[in-house]
Amino acid sequence: MNSTKLKRQQVHHKLRFTNEDLWGYIFIAAAMIIFCVFTLYPVFSAIYTSFFNYKPFGSEFVGLQNYIDTLKYSKFNLFYKAALNTVIYTVVVVPLSLLLSFCIAVMILPFKKKTQSVFKAMYYLPGIASGVALSVVWLWLYDSSPDGIFNRLLGLFGIPAQNWLSSTKTSMLSLIIMALLSSHGVRIITYIAALLGIDNSYFEAAELDGATFFQKVRFIVWPLVKPTTLFLLVTGVIGSFQVFMNAYMMTGGGPDNSTTMIGLLIYNNAFVYGKYGLACAQAILLAIAIAIMSLFQFKLMGVDVEY
Amino acid sequence: MKKIIALLLTCVMVLGLLAGCGGGKTTTETKAAPAATTPAAGDVTEAPAEAAPDTIVIMAPPVTGNYLENLKTWAADFHELHPNLTVEIIETSWGDHNDKMSTMAQAGEAPDIAEISSNALGTYVEMGVAIDIAQYLDADRLADYDANALKYLSLEGTVYGLPLYLTIQSIGANKTMMQELGIDVAKIQKEGWTYEEFLDVIKTGTKDGCYGFVFANSGVTASDMLYMFGAGAGLSNTFTSDLKYTFTSENMLTLLSAVEEMTQSGYMPNYGVEAGQRMVMCQTGNAMIFGKAMPLFEANFKKNNAALAANDGTAVENSLPMDYAFLPVPTMLGCEESCYGTVDGLIAMRNKNTTDEHLKNVLLFMDYICSGERIAACMNELYLDPVCQTGRDALVLEEGRDADNLATAARCIAMVQAPPEGVTAEMTSTAKKLMDEQIVPKFQLLLAGETTAQEVYDHICEAAYAAFGEENCVSGKLG
Repeated sequence: MNSTKLKRQQVHHKLRFTNEDLWGYIFIAAAMIIFCVFTLYPVFSAIYTSFFNYKPFGSEFVGLQNYIDTLKYSKFNLFYKAALNTVIYTVVVVPLSLLLSFCIAVMILPFKKKTQSVFKAMYYLPGIASGVALSVVWLWLYDSSPDGIFNRLLGLFGIPAQNWLSSTKTSMLSLIIMALLSSHGVRIITYIAALLGIDNSYFEAAELDGATFFQKVRFIVWPLVKPTTLFLLVTGVIGSFQVFMNAYMMTGGGPDNSTTMIGLLIYNNAFVYGKYGLACAQAILLAIAIAIMSLFQFKLMGVDVEY
Repeated sequence: MKKIIALLLTCVMVLGLLAGCGGGKTTTETKAAPAATTPAAGDVTEAPAEAAPDTIVIMAPPVTGNYLENLKTWAADFHELHPNLTVEIIETSWGDHNDKMSTMAQAGEAPDIAEISSNALGTYVEMGVAIDIAQYLDADRLADYDANALKYLSLEGTVYGLPLYLTIQSIGANKTMMQELGIDVAKIQKEGWTYEEFLDVIKTGTKDGCYGFVFANSGVTASDMLYMFGAGAGLSNTFTSDLKYTFTSENMLTLLSAVEEMTQSGYMPNYGVEAGQRMVMCQTGNAMIFGKAMPLFEANFKKNNAALAANDGTAVENSLPMDYAFLPVPTMLGCEESCYGTVDGLIAMRNKNTTDEHLKNVLLFMDYICSGERIAACMNELYLDPVCQTGRDALVLEEGRDADNLATAARCIAMVQAPPEGVTAEMTSTAKKLMDEQIVPKFQLLLAGETTAQEVYDHICEAAYAAFGEENCVSGKLG
């Protein structure tokens, strides 16, 4: 009898709303309000709008028509071409960026802390600059005239001048090079943090066994930074699928829609053609694709990852 | 205590973030602006003293170098004439104007008046935010504007805006160089020229380090070349008078073949040229003729010549002194000479607070800034003729303008063909999407030398048939 009463008292005590709890909820509320207003509401609003032919004064319910229009295959439906372009861009840019960042991080690691900081700052710097300003610089680098910087460089090796952004042969490559040569800062810093977390005893043991530098990287470093790689891969794929600025500023999606990405297509439908419903449907489909991709990556790569 | 301070800081942070969601406008209150000009004869009459106060919101980019400053002055003048009416100005740049306007319109918070290019009118009519202005403006005031220009801002017989100007887009040239090469510039300006004659001229102008012709063809600017040279090939409008889509006609194939010939000729660069490069290439002697060009460029050349003479370091690097010639586009296929033009104007837009009384006030101000000496001042800056009678009456031409360029511009403006009546908003927006998503991308490919004119033409026909139906597209030669 007494034991039952004690248990009830314990449960009651656990459920009691204390003053401390109130403060906790108040502080959580701040983050929740921001999340609801800037994330949750726009998502639900986009889902709702995707079922309408949106007009500011009297939208018309069209059911799944926007989704049907998006997915209906036609030679002239840009959605599939944009999706393919985005996949190509992602498949090339994300793994190469990770590899590049990993290599740079491994090369920076042996330096003293001050030198490391200098390199980290240098690589992080492009991330601070405005994307628009960077695009202007890249436009200048990709000047297609024989006097363009990259064309002059090619000229030194006897390679003819390239029509960088105006030819289907080089337009996507140009955007990929631009993505690969800028904004590695966050990835490098993340990798360095992960590398610093590896216990020295592993390396000492490997040295006693006579392991080479590459063997240490292959059998110690790479497996131990796998959780970091998985995180960067997932966030990299998400970011890459949403790429917009590069195509918008550099090529406008051309030539022959060879650099039209899903993000640019959604933007054009919403802001150039005023078709918000269609744009929302495409955005929802993109979100679903990203979610599936992320799930797939976690399943594939997360098998032996422990947090 | 610590918790309370932390809570306060958190509240401030949340409120700060939410502040952006409020209705506050980044506007310029114009009450305090100085009144510099006096109302013209054709201006509106003073409002009754007991009229209810009202605020009119206008969103405009820098239509001319001094436009936004002038707009403040005109708003202040207007406020003096109508003390109950206040004007708020939302200043935009050309880069963000359309996006901002579209976003505000979609949110139901469109400005009362906004600057618009006639090409984009269909989007706003389809959106249901453009207003039939004839209901709120006196018929005699509407009659002040040229019917040709008003047609650009009309769809299915409904007028949605007032024109600011009819801009013509053609080609410009280093007149000095052309004359040195023995080319009769005056004759071309007065009588026009054929595509074959044009080809001969650019061949003559091509020499070591100098192209006979350069056109800004990088990215979306490629469409300018299509529209401009299209006018010379009989493609002055997207639809015929019986509302058939014109870009499927044989004229289009002729135009594409001409462009293919030009890009392969070596008389123009075979690489992408950015918009900002074309005039510089002409001024530095790297190109003789350039496009697109407008009459206004005469001022740029004069300014550069003056800077070179003064040697004050403000001239274009490596530029040479030269005179500017505004030229008509060459004609193809024996077509009648024509010129591509668009109208930029102001439209009235619906928002959550729109009432009939408010719209009357909106139109009063819109008419005020589109007419009389206000528009005459703008046109003097743009080297264009006003498109309303009160504007023409008030126009006092600036001294020193090249008479031949002036006459050529006037001749070209007269050749511009307004869109046919009966075109619907849906037709214009489908045509715009077709142009942006199918025609221009393939045209870019042609400019890069990666396809043929015939392949581009076949693609355009296929896409147009899918969009409009084959029966609604022109087959064979136009006209």
